[in-house]
Amino acid sequence: MSEETRPGQAPNGAPSEEFLDEWRNAAYNCYSSGHKFCREVCPVMQVTRDEAHTPTAFHANVVAMEKGHLGIEDVARDYVHCTMCGACELRCPNTLFTGDFYRFRQRTVDLVKAVRTLAVENEIHQPNWKRWNDLTDRMKSEPVLNGTSVSQEHVADWAEGLDLTIGGETVLFCDCEAAFYRTSVPRAVAQILKKAGVEFGLMREQWCCGGPAAEMGYAEQARRFAEHNVADWRAVGAKRILVLDPHDYISFTEDYPGYFGDDYDFEIILVVEFVADLIRDGRLSLSVPIKRVATYHDACRLNKRKGIHKEPREILRAIPGLEFKDVDHVTQWSYCSGAGAGLGIERPDLTAEISRRRVERAKALEIDTLVSACPWSERPLTDQGKDQDIEIYDLMELVAEAAGFEV
Amino acid sequence: MAVATLDEAVVEELVAICGEEHVLTGKSALFNRARVPAPFPTHRWEEYIPQVVVLPTAAEQIAEVVKLANRRRIPVVPRAGGTGLTDGAVPLRHGIMVDVKLMNRILEIDHEDRTVTVQPGINMLKLNEELRKHGYIYPDNPASYPCSLVGGRIGTSGWSLIGGRYGHTRDLVISFEIVLPTGERIRVGDGGGSKVRKSSSGYQLKHLFMGHQGTLGIVTEATLELVPRPEAEFSAFFAYPDYASAWHSTGALARSGLATLAGVVLFDEWKVAYLRRDDEAYIPQAPDVRSVVATAMYGTVDEVRPAAKRLLKIGLETGGTYLGDEISQGDWASRHDRYATPLHGRTRNGQVVPMSWHCEDASIPYSQLPAVREKWHSIAASLCERFDMFDDWGMFAYTNGAFKPWGDYLTEIDIGIWEMQWDDESWAAWVEAKRDIAAVSLEHGGSISACHGSCREGEVDLVPLELGGGFEVMKTIKRALDPLNVMNPGKYLLDQAYEEGEE
Repeated sequence: MSEETRPGQAPNGAPSEEFLDEWRNAAYNCYSSGHKFCREVCPVMQVTRDEAHTPTAFHANVVAMEKGHLGIEDVARDYVHCTMCGACELRCPNTLFTGDFYRFRQRTVDLVKAVRTLAVENEIHQPNWKRWNDLTDRMKSEPVLNGTSVSQEHVADWAEGLDLTIGGETVLFCDCEAAFYRTSVPRAVAQILKKAGVEFGLMREQWCCGGPAAEMGYAEQARRFAEHNVADWRAVGAKRILVLDPHDYISFTEDYPGYFGDDYDFEIILVVEFVADLIRDGRLSLSVPIKRVATYHDACRLNKRKGIHKEPREILRAIPGLEFKDVDHVTQWSYCSGAGAGLGIERPDLTAEISRRRVERAKALEIDTLVSACPWSERPLTDQGKDQDIEIYDLMELVAEAAGFEV
Repeated sequence: MAVATLDEAVVEELVAICGEEHVLTGKSALFNRARVPAPFPTHRWEEYIPQVVVLPTAAEQIAEVVKLANRRRIPVVPRAGGTGLTDGAVPLRHGIMVDVKLMNRILEIDHEDRTVTVQPGINMLKLNEELRKHGYIYPDNPASYPCSLVGGRIGTSGWSLIGGRYGHTRDLVISFEIVLPTGERIRVGDGGGSKVRKSSSGYQLKHLFMGHQGTLGIVTEATLELVPRPEAEFSAFFAYPDYASAWHSTGALARSGLATLAGVVLFDEWKVAYLRRDDEAYIPQAPDVRSVVATAMYGTVDEVRPAAKRLLKIGLETGGTYLGDEISQGDWASRHDRYATPLHGRTRNGQVVPMSWHCEDASIPYSQLPAVREKWHSIAASLCERFDMFDDWGMFAYTNGAFKPWGDYLTEIDIGIWEMQWDDESWAAWVEAKRDIAAVSLEHGGSISACHGSCREGEVDLVPLELGGGFEVMKTIKRALDPLNVMNPGKYLLDQAYEEGEE
């Protein structure tokens, strides 16, 4: 493809007509409101307080680029400041009050993704994102172990001793952070599923879901990874995919259908919802008391992006001995761990501060345990929990313990 | 007049004062601090950008920045939320923007003397999330409640939707510290004590340093009222067959003397027609509903329960039909979100286009509301006829007094503007229409602005007419406090103060 016709880029470096056609009206719909109700709910903005890091700015920049005031090189760095948690979309008056009427929703997450992609297409790279995605491309899993190699050879090491098979109609997909770092989560999930009599297998060769690459603007790489994974699913005859990580869940239910259209006919099952069903139906009994006082951290991609907030609470209430102090899911629109969408790779300082504040809010409830349902959130939250004497559990780790397993 | 020259040396000095990470010169940092939600000439964006942005973290830093601006004669523009509906936070002469958002801490909650002391960058909703743990509320409740910041509320002398019960910003801010245009820091309130609500000691400077749109300094700390969180909220919406009966009923409700009454809001026929046409949340009403009145009360259960009965009685006896609990409670609860619903604009042929919401906010005596309404709609109609980018979204009138909801009304005409279409001709016509709207307010004994401020193009031309000799005093004060005209220059025709001085 010649330099002039690269998608997303006009010869003068301004966004292409194609990009503007997609985003012009959405940008004006935000610009026209300009009321910034999204601002105080944004986990990044709560820390940086920088107006250029707001959804308002993310949209206004499109207007300014079209008018020739700004170029992609002026704004690319600002778009790092987003965890794609989706809070701004929920809080947007456009979404709240005109959504159904005009079949319109402010799609800030998609816009941030599109501008990050535009930046990469224009060869504007954030150094740590570039390195991260290069390594992922080489190793097929994200480099979550800070230098220790992650490779296909070790992608299923977490399952050691669990006697899991490969393939079958139901496949358990295990995201990179859980496969290499928080291995207790997939171990918990696998044991829970086995105990409930669920037949499932692993992939022959599991690559990263591609979602992080898509979020950081490396669209071509994301697509390649998706193609590999889908081919692997087809090769083993999979019909349904069990997903234990909310980020993968977004990839498989939003990105993949976009790539493959009608051909994409897999049933995607979120483990949290599945386990809630098992408990409700009496197929999984929790009988070991957990003597803890806990609150739940709504995983952003479940709560804010997918509207899933009931099932985790239902599960927590089913655990014997556990004292559960809940904070409602709407209040938690403004909560986040700060780990999403590559923020922790480019701005680990911000991720740490967002997590610190989240743990601080939990601490104020006089609890000893903060339960999450997102492995990506658990590392930064655990780092901060150490300083504040709060233990971070994954919901499935707790369920496994209550079901009598060691994880 | 201060002129905008900025060189590397100035940036270095700012870095020395505020720290490197808090001095921004990138283009997006500047362009994203040029505008506020008010109509903005997108086609002339670059005329309104600051040259450098600082994000101070302490009052001392702000004072040093202002002193530097005086030494170098560089304009300084304060910005808090940037959610105002006039141009206070928009740089008209470029210069240094002092963005106070990082200063958003709660400094003290005083349970004995019932005050909370905060930095200027805190938002009221966020403040109330903390206060509710203690059973308090800070009831400064503008339409922009989820996003505006305390510093901007002081700079604009804001107005609260429930001010009839709890007062407006000026009543709820007890005292504050401000950096003067020359860099000195003073505390103003009622008299000297920072927690005194009423004093007769000396000039009453608190009012002078509120609503100046950033032309008299930058607030660095404020001590605010703590109010017991109300046990009960009651809202009631009434429907009427015509505007005249709704207007009569509004007057009767507002004059009821019910102390818990927080406000009465009158929707005219244009507003009801607009909601019927384009508001998803609008619950269908019979076609003979042409005007609506909303009311809200707050207080203890013992107060609100009997008062609500009385309120309903007055509403029904004056020709209103109660619209039911769903509308009454739901619509009132969503009041903040519903003030900002673009997309609802239509061109003449009915095409939906993304429109900005513009709202006039004159203070108009009750007796004059019907006449003003006719004239304003006629100005809007003429604008819509000439340019297919404006849309008349109707009028609201809100009771305007603090603690006593009768007398005059914050009177609002909402005009949708398709801002993608701006050119010099339509902008000039818009400015002319604003001037005409302001002229009508003054003809009828009103004030140009109840809450936004009246310093935008068009309306500002009439401020000397509105204030008369008071405007001369304003200029004298401005020149005395800001001898070099560095503090937010170009606003409120105050440059005139310096032209005369040079003659």
